[in-house]
Amino acid sequence: MDIAFTEEQEMLRTMVSDFLVKECPKSIVRELEEDEEKGYSPQIWKAMADLGWLGLIIPEEYGGMGMTFQELTIILEQMGANILPGPYFSTVVKGAMPILDAGSEEQKREFLPRIASGELIFTMALLEADGTYDASGIATKAAPQGDSFVINGTKLFVEMAHVADYLICVARTKDGASPEDGLTLFIVDVRSPGIHCEVIPTMGMDKLCEVRFENVAVPKKDVLGELDKGWPIIEQVIEKGGVAKAAESIGGMQTCLDMTVTYAKERVQYDRPIGAFQALQHIMADMWIATQTSKYLVYMVAWMESEGIPCAKEAAIAKAYVNEAYKWLTDRTVQLHGGIGTSRDHDVGLYYRRAKTADIAFGATDFHRELVADRMGLLR
Amino acid sequence: MDFKLTDEQVARRNEFFEVCGELEKKKPANFSGIESIYDSDEGWQYHLNCAKEFAKRGWIALGWPSEYGGQGSVMDRVFFAEARGYYDTPGVDIFGVAMLAPTLLGAGSEEMKREFLPKIAAAEIMFCELWSEPNAGSDLAALTTTALRDGDEYVLNGQKTWSTGAHRSDWAFALVRTDPHAETKHRGLTFLMFDMKTPGITVKPILYMDRGHLYNEVFFDDARVPVKYVVGEENKGWGVTQLLAGFERSSLDAIMMMRRQLEGLVEYCNETKVGGELLAKNPIIRNRIAELACQVEAARALAYRVADQQAKNEMGAIDASAVKVFAGDLSARLARLGADILGPYGQVRSSKWAPLEGFYEKQYQQYFILTVSMGTNEIQRNIIAWYGLGLPRMR
Ligand SMILES: Cc1cc2nc3c(=O)[nH]c(=O)nc-3n(C[C@H](O)[C@H](O)[C@H](O)COP(=O)(O)OP(=O)(O)OC[C@H]3O[C@@H](n4cnc5c(N)ncnc54)[C@H](O)[C@@H]3O)c2cc1C
Repeated sequence: MDIAFTEEQEMLRTMVSDFLVKECPKSIVRELEEDEEKGYSPQIWKAMADLGWLGLIIPEEYGGMGMTFQELTIILEQMGANILPGPYFSTVVKGAMPILDAGSEEQKREFLPRIASGELIFTMALLEADGTYDASGIATKAAPQGDSFVINGTKLFVEMAHVADYLICVARTKDGASPEDGLTLFIVDVRSPGIHCEVIPTMGMDKLCEVRFENVAVPKKDVLGELDKGWPIIEQVIEKGGVAKAAESIGGMQTCLDMTVTYAKERVQYDRPIGAFQALQHIMADMWIATQTSKYLVYMVAWMESEGIPCAKEAAIAKAYVNEAYKWLTDRTVQLHGGIGTSRDHDVGLYYRRAKTADIAFGATDFHRELVADRMGLLR
Repeated sequence: MDFKLTDEQVARRNEFFEVCGELEKKKPANFSGIESIYDSDEGWQYHLNCAKEFAKRGWIALGWPSEYGGQGSVMDRVFFAEARGYYDTPGVDIFGVAMLAPTLLGAGSEEMKREFLPKIAAAEIMFCELWSEPNAGSDLAALTTTALRDGDEYVLNGQKTWSTGAHRSDWAFALVRTDPHAETKHRGLTFLMFDMKTPGITVKPILYMDRGHLYNEVFFDDARVPVKYVVGEENKGWGVTQLLAGFERSSLDAIMMMRRQLEGLVEYCNETKVGGELLAKNPIIRNRIAELACQVEAARALAYRVADQQAKNEMGAIDASAVKVFAGDLSARLARLGADILGPYGQVRSSKWAPLEGFYEKQYQQYFILTVSMGTNEIQRNIIAWYGLGLPRMR
């Protein structure tokens, strides 16, 4: 046992942090939030590609750096700490990862090097009108037609679809015995005729889109994984994606804790720093507890994922726990800042809004608690 | 102990609910909560229209002495607040009606009462409250904006902040420092009213975290205002502000608003299917809605007690603080529950994709208005501990 980052990991962590502090100040975050068109900075994107971060978990043979999920969570933690807007998460977690896990050799050769180089932006089109991460939520249909499948349906909350080059679309190819049966994943060129995309205005201003498919033809070779048997891939995306999201969240938690403690030491009311009030000290002590428990939980699960140790239950635990911890902690962060915490000019609101977005992504708390209960062996 | 209303009270209460129910039909799209009053011209106009309607009926002056246009009882005022809360109806100026009028009644000169109360009752004049400053929030007495006497005028210099509605209001009431050399910071403060159009007053917007325009910064550069609009005595403004603690609101408006929200959530769950099953059948959702329903009823019961004490002229400040803290936290819990029940839609801003007009996306951010403004929940808990429980006060 050695519960500490290796020297290389520490270096990565410092490098990412230094880069983001310098390149992504809050003025940029606000600008990108308001930017309806792109919502990300191509310069930062290019710089990250040059640093190898887009190919971090992609094996060297496909142009990447061949690191593990653990290293990815180190990057994501810093991105969460600095709330970098953009398609990094969607490209790496919702694009590169499923292709790595389920893609054919040909697909890996076609897409992974171009992801690693920063040429391609990816995302995944999963949720639909029901808004559930259960398989039952997928009604979009894909029907075979010659050498292609033709997709019809509407996807919602597709992150960054408006700037993506490709999206992985989950569609129903067969009415199976259960909702999980008969789902297939397709790698779809976003410029294909019949795709319509609109950005949905959201609390996180994170460019979640509605994507409508009207008779969109996708070549059969672009099926990802096995026909009709896509559900296990999606389960993997939800499992690892949830942990990756939680990794972002723990970064945000640390930033909020730091901001609060710094402010409590500086802000004077009644002739003393407000941090001297025990009522607030206890809240901040609880914030520390929430941050540390969340962090080590995420580190542990990220390690399990990297080692290939089955951790479906632990991953659900991490997502459910961190969801609540981050939301609670950001609520306290705003409250302890008083009036200034409620204003758009102050940074704490940026984190407060994102904690809710993070909760929703890959399934909110109740969804993951249900998975935990299941995996603990509670009978349905 | 008797919670029963008289037949007359029931009739009166119904009347308030009917009128507010009618006004609700004219509500602009997406109007909800106090930010909506000040954020858009449309919202402000709706507020003014409702205010005129209430003024016409004499409802703004409920419970005031009749010589200033008052009618009805304190209990009527409570029922009216319930109705407005339930329908989220604006029209009663939080500052002019709920804060300034009772202050004038308690500490204003006869001349000022005669000049302002009728205008407030007629909804002819809207106010803002200029108390907080960048370095004086909870510790209000630390304020530094000065008002130095020059003949019949004060010359104002300094800055106020978080001034809700200062960009729309006609007049302000402020707490300012008239004696910078007073022995303690609580002395030397004066409660002063003035016209917001006075030269030397500049209002700059601050956006709320959801980008709404609710509050502002207000700057004074040698703004000259008449001395005659001091409320109470010069240098004795702190005592005047403390009067307000005795006029605490019961929070019944906020509580009734939550009751309505629960009804709205029940309706939503009864209509919305996820995975082929109505949300109403989901045991987790049932449990969580029921949990909050219990808390809303508990809040309501204590709020009635506060209202009853007010009607009997007994000071209920401690329980009023208890209700304020509880209602503020409850409104936060309810906002979170609503956003949770909506699933991914809970994050959607008002748009064609947003159920319930994006209400919970807004409410998720706006509940801090209840937990931070008008005495933060932490300050209210101090009040309960010190004055309610008699615990030693930290110096
Ligand atoms: C939406 C909104 C509208 C507002 N509208 C107006 C308005 O119209 N006019 C106006 O004058 N003001 C207005 N305010 C300002 C409001 O009154 C202040 O924000 C409030 O008094 C808190 O002051 P502060 O913001 O300076 O926070 P601070 O007083 O600096 O408080 C920061 C934190 O420290 C805590 N704290 C402070 N002292 C203690 C203590 N003794 N013990 C324990 N904890 C403590 C607080 O509870 C808070 O959590 C508004 C505020 C908001 C959020």
